[in-house]
Amino acid sequence: MGESGVTVDSSKVILSIKNLVKTYPNGVQALKGVSFDVREGEFLVIIGLSGSGKSTLLRCLNRLHDPTSGSILFDHGKEDIAQVKGAGVRRIRQQIGMIFQHFNLVPRFSVLKNVLLGRLAYTPIWKSLLGWFSEADRKKAIEHLSLVGIAEKAHLRADNLSGGQQQRVAIARVLSQNPKIILADEPVASLDPATCHTVMEYLKKVNEELKITIVCNLHFLSLVRQYATRVIALKEGEIIYEGSPQDIDEQWFARIYGEGAKEVHVN
Amino acid sequence: MVIDQYRFRRLLFDSLNFAFVVMVALILFQAPEEEQILRDMKFYALLWGGLMVIGALISELFLKFRIVTLGELTFSPPSRKHLRSQHNLFYTFWGWQFIISLILTLWIGCLITKADLWELLDERGIRGAIHLFYALFDPNWQILPQAIVNVIVTIFMAFIATAFAIPVAFILSFFCAKNIMKHPVAFVIYLTLRTLFNFIRSIEALIWAIIFSVWVGIGPFAGMMALMIHSIASLAKQYSEMVESVGEGPIEGVQSTGASFLQTIWFAIVPQVILPYISFTVYRWDTNVRMATIIGFVGGGGIGTMLIKYQGQAMWNEVGTIVIVIAVVVWAMDQASALIRDALK
Ligand SMILES: Nc1ncnc2c1ncn2[C@@H]1O[C@H](COP(=O)(O)OP(=O)(O)O)[C@@H](O)[C@H]1O
Ligand SMILES: [Mg+2]
Repeated sequence: MGESGVTVDSSKVILSIKNLVKTYPNGVQALKGVSFDVREGEFLVIIGLSGSGKSTLLRCLNRLHDPTSGSILFDHGKEDIAQVKGAGVRRIRQQIGMIFQHFNLVPRFSVLKNVLLGRLAYTPIWKSLLGWFSEADRKKAIEHLSLVGIAEKAHLRADNLSGGQQQRVAIARVLSQNPKIILADEPVASLDPATCHTVMEYLKKVNEELKITIVCNLHFLSLVRQYATRVIALKEGEIIYEGSPQDIDEQWFARIYGEGAKEVHVN
Repeated sequence: MVIDQYRFRRLLFDSLNFAFVVMVALILFQAPEEEQILRDMKFYALLWGGLMVIGALISELFLKFRIVTLGELTFSPPSRKHLRSQHNLFYTFWGWQFIISLILTLWIGCLITKADLWELLDERGIRGAIHLFYALFDPNWQILPQAIVNVIVTIFMAFIATAFAIPVAFILSFFCAKNIMKHPVAFVIYLTLRTLFNFIRSIEALIWAIIFSVWVGIGPFAGMMALMIHSIASLAKQYSEMVESVGEGPIEGVQSTGASFLQTIWFAIVPQVILPYISFTVYRWDTNVRMATIIGFVGGGGIGTMLIKYQGQAMWNEVGTIVIVIAVVVWAMDQASALIRDALK
């Protein structure tokens, strides 16, 4: 597998996944022993047909799902995410944030309150239940909203925003967590092509300016070429390609997406 | 021979229907005395069982000949829906099965409830009723202050019962929601609470009032306790159904920030269910006011107890006053609750 064109320092591994297996209670083996490294500061994109296990993989990384076996070493091997329990899981989730295809905001809350939810792990339970977030948290939240260009919508209800705007709120929320890594599960799959690029640009900005590592599931290869620094392709729960986006030629394309598949461009 | 869900339901339906029809026909034909039935109960039970077996056999046999019975019509699996023909009701077997069952049920029903047109048209009876109506529409306003005081007791009884039930039901509702109680231990708690609440709800508030009037003595407190117990069970069920129907998205979203269990419930679930909660609660209060009146009949205090007192003495003018007060209050509560629930939509 080719690895040319990768600019990130490969010595700095932030996540090291070894032999990750996930079998769902209904018997579906969604991941069949996946091993790879995530490097600090990279924009790693995971591609593959739907059902290939991309979402499952991301959800194992922040323990929204429990892996069946294997290890996920985090923080230079100090911690195995696959093994942590209870409060440890919540600490992992705080450090490895996530954004979703359907944004997963709380629809009835204001934009600002949604962003403040990113501070829950930092706020004592009784304070958070009373809605007492610190002044510093509020200021930061507004800053993060400005970063994604929607500070002026802070007091609108989240469900009054368009899809693209909601996804930007979700980015602001994940930034409030002050995460080391952001997982993005098809963040633009339910957006129209124009908005799609806006959101991807903000993710790129977060990656380049704030130096936050990003692991992102994507559907369209054209987007992958534009934004990824490195690519992993999954097929039926196994990694079949790992390398630079530029090296995915027609042959690889056919192997990843199946013979007869045609590349679609988002412009 | 597999007994799947469809087959079981069809067989049960057809055999019950057959046993019922034959039994009713038998009783209508023989017209046995009540004592006779009581004495021969064992015989009738055996007969019933035998008839059910025959009914099941007939149902199977008919299916073999592709004759659609009522049980088949109602419970057939999707794969056999095509057997239902588009024929006119009178050209189908199930049509006649339905008509005969209906006629026999109505007939025996009238016999059992002793429905009697002559009784209804009896001159002396009618005169009595007219006298009562006159009295009802000629209320004795002297007791109005007393009635108002009592109806206020009833309203507060319903209010306190609802108010105390809200926090209990609110907290317990999360323990009765399948989507939260996934863990094996949690699931046991879930099942236990569900069963308990189903049990409590299956006992009418009226019965609870009788139990509590023995326990804490006749009066508003007994009525309040009865309503509260019933409200907790009902609200917890309705609340938990709301919790079960919330979107997974916000839950995952909040969880992904590293929020704790309580924070997830508070920030991802509560905002999604709060409006329906309020709506259910207002409706429950409204229902409780009506129930509180009835509960007064058996010693729950308030306007109901007052009503039953005057009714016992055949003081119809006073009863008239009380009925009017109750009607006005129930109507007002109904309107208010409808307006509030409408505003919450
Ligand atoms: N909660 C679940 N329970 C059972 N099977 C699941 C669940 N989630 C996903 N799967 C199965 O796991 C496989 C991988 O799914 P997923 O990770 O969602 O793939 P992708 O995100 O690449 O479309 C699929 O076969 C899917 O049907
Ligand atoms: Mg997916």
